[in-house]
Amino acid sequence: MTEIMDGEAVAAGLRDKLRSSIETLADHGERPGLATVLMSDDPASQTYVNMKQKDCEEVGIEGINVELDPESSPQELYDTIDDLNADPDVNGILIQQPLPDYVNSRAVIRHVDPIKDVEAMHPENIGRFVAGYARFRPCTPFGVQHLLEEYDIDTQGWDVTIVGHSDIVGKPLANLMVQKQEGPDGSAGEPHATVTICHVETQNLEEKTRNADVVIVATGVPELIDGSMISEGTVVIDVGINQVEADNEKGYELVGDVDFESAKEKASYITPVPGGVGAMTRAMLLYNTVKATSIQTGIDVELPSFCKGGIPPYTPEAQTHHPAEPADQ
Amino acid sequence: MTTIIDGNAVADDIKADLESSIDALADAGIKPGLATVLMSDDPASETYVSMKQRDCEEVGIEGIHVEIDPDAPAEELYDTIDDLNSDPEVHGILVQMPVADHVDDREVIRRIDPVKDVDGFHPENVGRLVAGHDRYRPCTPHGVQKLLEAYDIETEGKDVTVVGRSNIVGKPLANLLLQKADDGNATVTVCHSRTQDTAAKTRNADIVVAAVGVPELIDGDMITEDTVVIDVGVNRVDADNEKGYELVGDVDYDSVEEKASHITPVPGGVGPMTRAMLLYNTVKAAGIQKDVDVDLH
Repeated sequence: MTEIMDGEAVAAGLRDKLRSSIETLADHGERPGLATVLMSDDPASQTYVNMKQKDCEEVGIEGINVELDPESSPQELYDTIDDLNADPDVNGILIQQPLPDYVNSRAVIRHVDPIKDVEAMHPENIGRFVAGYARFRPCTPFGVQHLLEEYDIDTQGWDVTIVGHSDIVGKPLANLMVQKQEGPDGSAGEPHATVTICHVETQNLEEKTRNADVVIVATGVPELIDGSMISEGTVVIDVGINQVEADNEKGYELVGDVDFESAKEKASYITPVPGGVGAMTRAMLLYNTVKATSIQTGIDVELPSFCKGGIPPYTPEAQTHHPAEPADQ
Repeated sequence: MTTIIDGNAVADDIKADLESSIDALADAGIKPGLATVLMSDDPASETYVSMKQRDCEEVGIEGIHVEIDPDAPAEELYDTIDDLNSDPEVHGILVQMPVADHVDDREVIRRIDPVKDVDGFHPENVGRLVAGHDRYRPCTPHGVQKLLEAYDIETEGKDVTVVGRSNIVGKPLANLLLQKADDGNATVTVCHSRTQDTAAKTRNADIVVAAVGVPELIDGDMITEDTVVIDVGVNRVDADNEKGYELVGDVDYDSVEEKASHITPVPGGVGPMTRAMLLYNTVKAAGIQKDVDVDLH
C-alpha cells in the first residue's frame, strides 16, 4: 500500500506550532519580520513573493515587501539590503531569485547579514550546516527532512539517492542527509544516510535509483524518474515543479520530476506535485524567520522539534557577538 | 599493471610550480607568510607544525610560529588570532588541531579571518566551496584532486565512493567532486560508519577514496578490477620493529594493489600532497591580500 505524503497537512501542523512560538515572542513585545525583496517583473517571481507574504500574514509574521525596478542599479539593491540588515524590525531577508542578469547574485547573497539569511544561502550558513552546526537550514532540503521525520522514516544507514546537484536543493540536501550529529540520548538524531548524488553527467542513473531506499529528485526535468527506475518499497520524494503544456483551460499543468502514476505503483511513500514538498518549503521559511527572531532578540522560544531522537529545540544563549551564537543541536 | 601514484613526485612538481608565483610576489616586494599556532603539547602536533614550517622555508614562504601554553585560557588563543588577522605580513593562519579541550575549536576556526584561512575550514570558505565559488580548498581534498589530475584520471561521469564523512576530508572532497566543473562532475557516494554494505558501494565505484582512520578497512575483496584507489588514512599500528609501530593506510595495500588500476601508498601518497596544498593556499592568500596575480593553476 503506497502512502501519499501530505505536505500540505504537515506544513499546516508546523504552522500551528509556529503560531505558539510567535505568541511567546509577542509576550515579550516582539513580532518576527520577514522582508522580501523583488527585483524582477517576472510574473512567477511576483506570485512567489505574494505567496510568501500571505504565509507570513497567516501565522502572524510581519511581512515587508520591497520592490526594486529591474532596471535599477545593483547599488540600489545593495543599499536596500544594507537598510534591511540594519533594521531591527526585520529579522529575515529573502531576495527573490532570479535577479537581473547584470547583478552578481552571489555577491548579493553574501551581502545579506548571515544572521538574517533565512534562506541559508550565505556561504557562512552553508558552511555551518555542512560542518554540523546549522544556524538555518535551506528551506527545501529542510522541508524534505521534516517531511521524512513526520512520516517516521528513519534514514539512518539507508541508501539515499539524490538526483540533481543544484545549489538550492541537491547540494545542501546531500550535506544535510549525511550528517552524523547524535541525539542527546544517544539516538540517531541527524539523518545518517549513505548518500549518492546524481546529475546530468551520471552514468546508469537507473542503477543508482533502483539501489536506493529513498530517492529524492530535484532536477527540473519533467517526469524524469519513472516506475521502472525504482524498486519496490522505495520512498520517493519529488522536489520538481514543472509547467508542461496540457489540453485544459489553462493550457498547462504542473508535473514533478517523477512520473507519479508509474512510481506510485512501487513506492512505499511518495510526494504528490503539487501538495508535497512545495508546501514544506514555504513553511520552513516561516520556521527560519521565527528562529532568526529568537536569535536576534535573545528570547527563548520553543521551536518545533524536527529531529528524530528528540534533539532539543534551539535555545539562544547570551549573544555577545555574531560569530559566537550556538548551533541548533 | 597497477600504477603506484607517487605523491612525493607530484608534490615536488606543485612546489616547483609555486616558485614563479613566489617570484611574482617578490617582484612586488612581498614574501608570503604563514603563521602556525600550536596550543598543545602532543608530540605528533609538534611534529606536524615543524614539518609545515620546514616546507615553508623550502619554497621561500616566511614561517611564523606561535606557541601557546595548553593550560592558558581560550582568550589567549583568540587574542593571538586577532593579532595575526591584523598583521599584514601574515597571509595564512593555521591553528594546529586539536587545540586544548577547554577551547571550542569551532569558535577558533570562526575567529580566523576567512581570507587568511588557508586550511579552508572557516564556514564561509566551506560554504563557498559547496556553492561552487571556492576561495581556498581544504588541503587534503585538494591534494587528492591534484593527484588525480596529475595521473590524467578524469572524474566526469565517474562513480566515486568516498568512505568517511569528516569535516576535513570526506565532506569537502565529496562536495568538490560533485561540482559542475571539469575536476568534478562525478557521481559521488558518501559512506560512513552507519552505511550498510560498504563493500557494495566500493565495488560499484570507478574511484574509491578511503578517509576513515580505520587501519586497512578496505581490502581487495571490496574493490573490482581497475578501480582507482586513493588512501587518505595514516594509522599507527603496533609492529615488531625498532620503533614498535608502523604506518598503514585505510586500505589493505597488498590485496588492493593486485586489482587497482592506480593506488596511493602510505606513506608517500596523499600525505605530501596535503602539505604541498597548504603552501599553494598560502601563496594564493598572499596574492589575494596584496592584489598580485600569482597565476596559480
